[in-house]
Amino acid sequence: MPADAATTRTLACPACGGTLGLRAAGLSVTIACEYCASLIDVAHPDVQIITRYNETQASLAIPLGTRGTLRGVEWDVIGWMQRSDGWAEWDEYLLFNPFEGYCWLIAQNGQWSLGTMLTAAPGYDGGDYVVDGRRFTAFYHHNEARVQRVAGEFYWRVKVGETVRTSDYVRPGFMLSLEQDDREKSWTVSEFLTAREIRAAFDLPPPPRWLPGITPLAHQPSPFAHRVRGWLPVGLVTFAVLIALFLLFGRTFQPQTFGFPVTPDGPEVSQTFGPIILPAPRQGVTIETRTSNIEQGWVDIDVALVNRATQDSYEAYALNERYSGNDGDGNWTEGSRGQTLKIASLPAGSYDLVVDAQAHHWGSAGNFDWNAQTGQYQSTGQPPVDVMIRVARGARFASNLWLAVLLVLVPPILMLILHSLFENARLAQKDGADPDAGDWIRGFATP
Amino acid sequence: MHNFACPSCGADVAFRSPALPVRVCDQCRTLVVRYNASAQAMGMIADLPFDVSPVQIGTQGQWQGQGFDIIGRVRWSRDDGAWNEWLMLMADGSHGWLGEAMGQYMAMREMAIKAPMAKVLRRLIDGETVLPGETATIAAHDYQVADIRTVTCVAGEGELPFSAPTGWQALSVDFRKADGRCASFQKDSRDHALYVGEYVTLADLHPRNLRPLPGWTMPSYAR
Repeated sequence: MPADAATTRTLACPACGGTLGLRAAGLSVTIACEYCASLIDVAHPDVQIITRYNETQASLAIPLGTRGTLRGVEWDVIGWMQRSDGWAEWDEYLLFNPFEGYCWLIAQNGQWSLGTMLTAAPGYDGGDYVVDGRRFTAFYHHNEARVQRVAGEFYWRVKVGETVRTSDYVRPGFMLSLEQDDREKSWTVSEFLTAREIRAAFDLPPPPRWLPGITPLAHQPSPFAHRVRGWLPVGLVTFAVLIALFLLFGRTFQPQTFGFPVTPDGPEVSQTFGPIILPAPRQGVTIETRTSNIEQGWVDIDVALVNRATQDSYEAYALNERYSGNDGDGNWTEGSRGQTLKIASLPAGSYDLVVDAQAHHWGSAGNFDWNAQTGQYQSTGQPPVDVMIRVARGARFASNLWLAVLLVLVPPILMLILHSLFENARLAQKDGADPDAGDWIRGFATP
Repeated sequence: MHNFACPSCGADVAFRSPALPVRVCDQCRTLVVRYNASAQAMGMIADLPFDVSPVQIGTQGQWQGQGFDIIGRVRWSRDDGAWNEWLMLMADGSHGWLGEAMGQYMAMREMAIKAPMAKVLRRLIDGETVLPGETATIAAHDYQVADIRTVTCVAGEGELPFSAPTGWQALSVDFRKADGRCASFQKDSRDHALYVGEYVTLADLHPRNLRPLPGWTMPSYAR
């Protein structure tokens, strides 16, 4: 949308006769002819050509005269210059609003920043510059920025080849730049613009995403910092929810207890108990096997929950054992007399608990007799082992919890790695002192 | 308010400030100077060149807790550009200047130059050379000399504290301080004056009755 003709003054280019629109009449000093690229002095009534060059007009990302609204303020793009410091090359677009004055849109590597000239010099505190409570650390020292190409109108007499000395100070998201020549020192704060802002303002294509290996701009905020920060509350909440779920829904209830004796080295004992009613569509079942009086031996316990209706069988196995002795180090015991088995996700139904248990005795104590029936030696005089089975609905699977915690941790760890890659690449450009902890912490505090 | 008939064209010329001696006739651009109860024509003022300034005669605002009306303007030109000095009639009858250059505004008041003030000012008054970057102490503040130029009056309008003939040349020296304060010294062949103030934004001034600029939306702070 071009500005209304009523605020634009036209003049004829003295070189080519082309009609030029002057948008900041009364303020502009120089206008570069958009047809023949002559630089014309408009500060004086007798318009005169300052310089003429025949370099073809660059195809600009934002054509001069474009109107855009950035942060609630309308701006006309009235001037463009391309500058270089010998290392990097960047574009600066001069924006004008008669009520707001001027500001700059600075484009480098497809990334955009909004520059505002300060009317007061920034404060200086312990090596950092401070503007509006924001601290800026020294980043680039004493570069020379040279105007390479120019088009449009400006409030000073811009010239190709004009150089200024620059120093830049950075806090992620912002850059404070000092430009000085023999006559003047001026300070500008540029703020990194998001893809959304620059698109909404001037319908520009989104800036390229950062990938490892690409050098970011000195003041480019880490695209991962806010994600790492954003994860913290999410992670904590997720963790709390997991714990709550674990405690609330993992508890067991309605226990049923069954018991029977097994003779060590005797035949396998098979017992069926029931019914065990499982009402929920799906549930875990916790089975505790306890053999409190086993000594110097072990008990193999196979348990199966068999659905009375479908004969589907869900099986688990426990080995309860207990050994003790005495050696040079003193008394020792080994083994566990109880096991907890968990069966996940049993469908609703009426179940039988089928338990097969066989006890064995180990060691030299006791007597052994030939049992003709089984065809085996069997220890005699051993007391029977009491097998106690406790079945309860519900089960806690701690491994699931840890797996979930691990999954919750994966994204932030990934983001932290990417963040540190980004910050390394950004801070590697810094002149002078090496990046320190302060730089790293500020990398997180990005807007 | 004192009204006179323009000595040149007869149009009504109103002086709003009792303190100001000069008024440019809106009708014929004659420079009208009042002596006691009569008005006298002092030549003509050139037409102001077109500009896109949002300030105009009749703009009102607030500065330093006091209301003001814009009642006059002088347009100056220098080797690389031109700027406006708007005359503010303050609510208490005193006046100040609102400088408008490169889209930035400086609100200033005239300050008497006293003996202990900067040596720099003394040297300027004596016609000696002063360089940008020199430090000048004005009213207990250390300023830096930012800019020294010879400037030319392009035109004027409204009420003015001096006759501002077109082509009138003066030496203009700008001073700046890191905290946003600024000062300006002007000297011509007859007289000199010092102005002291600060950078402001239009929004800071809570302006009313800004000049509507076709194609541009009046900012919310001025509606």
